[in-house]
Amino acid sequence: MVRSTTGGAGALQPVITVFITCCMLFSGVLFALQAEESPATESPATESSATESSATESSATEVPAVKAVVAEQGAESIVEEQVKDPAALKLEETLKKNSKCLKCHNRDRTKLLEDGKEMSLQVHRDDYLASAHGEVRCTSCHRAIGNRKHPSKSTNITIESEREYSVDMNNSCRKCHMQKYKQYKGSVHSALVAQGSDKAPVCTSCHNAHAPVSMVDYQAETGLPCKNCHENIFNAYSESVHGQARINGNTIRDSHIQAPICSDCHHSHEVTALAIGDVLRTTCIACHENIILLHNQWLPNAGTHLDIVSCAVCHAPFAKRKFDLHLYDNVAQVPLAMKEGDVPIQEQLQAIVEEGVEGDPLEIWKARGGFGQEGQAVDISLRSRMEVMSGVAAHQIASKSFAVRTCESCHEPNWREKQNVTVSITQPDGRKQSFEANRETLSSVKAIESISDFYALGGKPSKLLDIMLLLAVAAGIAIPVGHFTLGKMIKEYIARGNK
Amino acid sequence: MSTNPTEQTRPDVWIKTKDSDLYINPLPVRIWHWLNAMGFVVLIITGTFIRYTDQFQLMSFETAIKTHNWVGFAIIANYFVWLGFYLFSDRITVYHPELNFRKFFDKAFKQMMYYGYGIFRGHKSPHKVLPHDKFNPMQSITYQIVMLLVVPVQFITGLMMWDIKRFEVPIAMVGGLNTVVTVHVVIYIFFVAFTMVHAYMGALGTTPATHFREMFTGYEEEH
Repeated sequence: MVRSTTGGAGALQPVITVFITCCMLFSGVLFALQAEESPATESPATESSATESSATESSATEVPAVKAVVAEQGAESIVEEQVKDPAALKLEETLKKNSKCLKCHNRDRTKLLEDGKEMSLQVHRDDYLASAHGEVRCTSCHRAIGNRKHPSKSTNITIESEREYSVDMNNSCRKCHMQKYKQYKGSVHSALVAQGSDKAPVCTSCHNAHAPVSMVDYQAETGLPCKNCHENIFNAYSESVHGQARINGNTIRDSHIQAPICSDCHHSHEVTALAIGDVLRTTCIACHENIILLHNQWLPNAGTHLDIVSCAVCHAPFAKRKFDLHLYDNVAQVPLAMKEGDVPIQEQLQAIVEEGVEGDPLEIWKARGGFGQEGQAVDISLRSRMEVMSGVAAHQIASKSFAVRTCESCHEPNWREKQNVTVSITQPDGRKQSFEANRETLSSVKAIESISDFYALGGKPSKLLDIMLLLAVAAGIAIPVGHFTLGKMIKEYIARGNK
Repeated sequence: MSTNPTEQTRPDVWIKTKDSDLYINPLPVRIWHWLNAMGFVVLIITGTFIRYTDQFQLMSFETAIKTHNWVGFAIIANYFVWLGFYLFSDRITVYHPELNFRKFFDKAFKQMMYYGYGIFRGHKSPHKVLPHDKFNPMQSITYQIVMLLVVPVQFITGLMMWDIKRFEVPIAMVGGLNTVVTVHVVIYIFFVAFTMVHAYMGALGTTPATHFREMFTGYEEEH
């Protein structure tokens, strides 16, 4: 009995063991599947904070959970199978869902917008699937549209205009491309969009949302996408030493240095207007690191020249030039810019803008009592820079051998008097607003105080000193001649007296 | 020439030795004076060209600037030859200011009368030139102002303009670049007239060449 009992129990044991093992395996699989489902269904937060490689990342987060369950089993071979599956499964599901969308949207469909125009709804299936976004669910970006809430005649989604929709969709990009989005928000492009410009680029102006090109595949030499809006500037660049070097395989400088193209100086997302203050020079020095040394070797007052003469003035030899005056904050050591927040300063600048700089901007500034934040007095002066007239000219950089080398090019009064003089105020978006300045005001004695640093050799701000010089020369001649003549006369008089 | 007084037939003051009363301009003063004279002429010419570059086709602007800078530094160094000599020798008495104003104006008036009239009559200068009392009152006051005020100010403003960026802070402290430039130009204008008049007055010796010769040899000829 004992044997049979034990024998019965012994016969049942493997069965029970197998049963329990099966149960555990089954529950393990169920748990794993549940864990796989969770990111998609559980929290929108998980999805919204996902990065560009959301599919890969979400599967990576599942791994510990799966591992924890399966580790209890001690079945390593099963673990690997479980790790692969969720990603693959998710991708499969994404593609399946996307294919549902693409089934219709692959065709040429349009939507009538509120502004009366039609917007294409077509997404080319092959392009989309082959793109960097090919594994992203359509509804990840188009959140207003889902399986159960696809717009129909009864549940129509109203869109004001294609532009408004594009601006709105920037937020979808932000969810995965947060870093780039932040850079974009600091750009002149974003500032223009915020000001209501209908031409300034949004994400999709440069990147095709349904066929985005990976960074490594960008053909920068084509000038695209910048060229779409800045064609004149790109053409000028193409002819320049930089453009030619880029096209001809960087033969000008060391072969390992790639000649710059748009984004190298302006950045691709935090696009800046380089004309502001010191940015341009800093940008040039970033590659031409020894220019301070090289200019010091021959150029008198090299430091000042590099500070107040924009690189292009000499290195774009055929460009038209101008003297550009701007208000300068001597305390912060930056050009005064219109920006949000500092209300008193903004009111001052606005006044200057409104008065059109007929007179002396600094006088206008003083007359209104310029004060900074919290009532602090600001030390503002008017400074001048030599700039090229246009953005196109700024890109016509020629080879070094063509650069302006003769001082007379600038230090010659006749030449200088023909140059334009503008007064610029930096706008909140970083661009400069320039006004034609009144030349007579600049050359008056009164202006010496306000533009105490507006001086270049060869320029004569006042005729008074010229008259003084003439008088000095006259005195230098008259005194000897007069004295000599007086002596002669006295001697003759005495001689006559003696007779 | 012998230095032994017992061998002399003429009074001591006529003997051309470095101890005699005739030795008015010691070597450092002569070196300083003629280097300074050449430097000032070059600085005035290049300075004029820099300021009125469109009026003359004398040299390139770059040459003018570079010459002006180099000569400027040479003249500053030369100034210390003058300053060093007078600080470390008893000849500094030639610049001692006349603190008795009545006496000063009296002598100055006499000196002016001499230049305006007496000189044409062949009178002797009311001021007797001696190694330790070289200058007449008019020279004394002019040279003190020139050497201790005008010339240093010209050096300082010139130095500031040589490297505007390096001297940004001092330039701002004195009222900006335009002020510095204006001061430099006004002094330049003064020196244009000064150099011309100075050269003419140098020719008012017994013969026109007398004072020039004296400034080369160091010895007074009109005792």
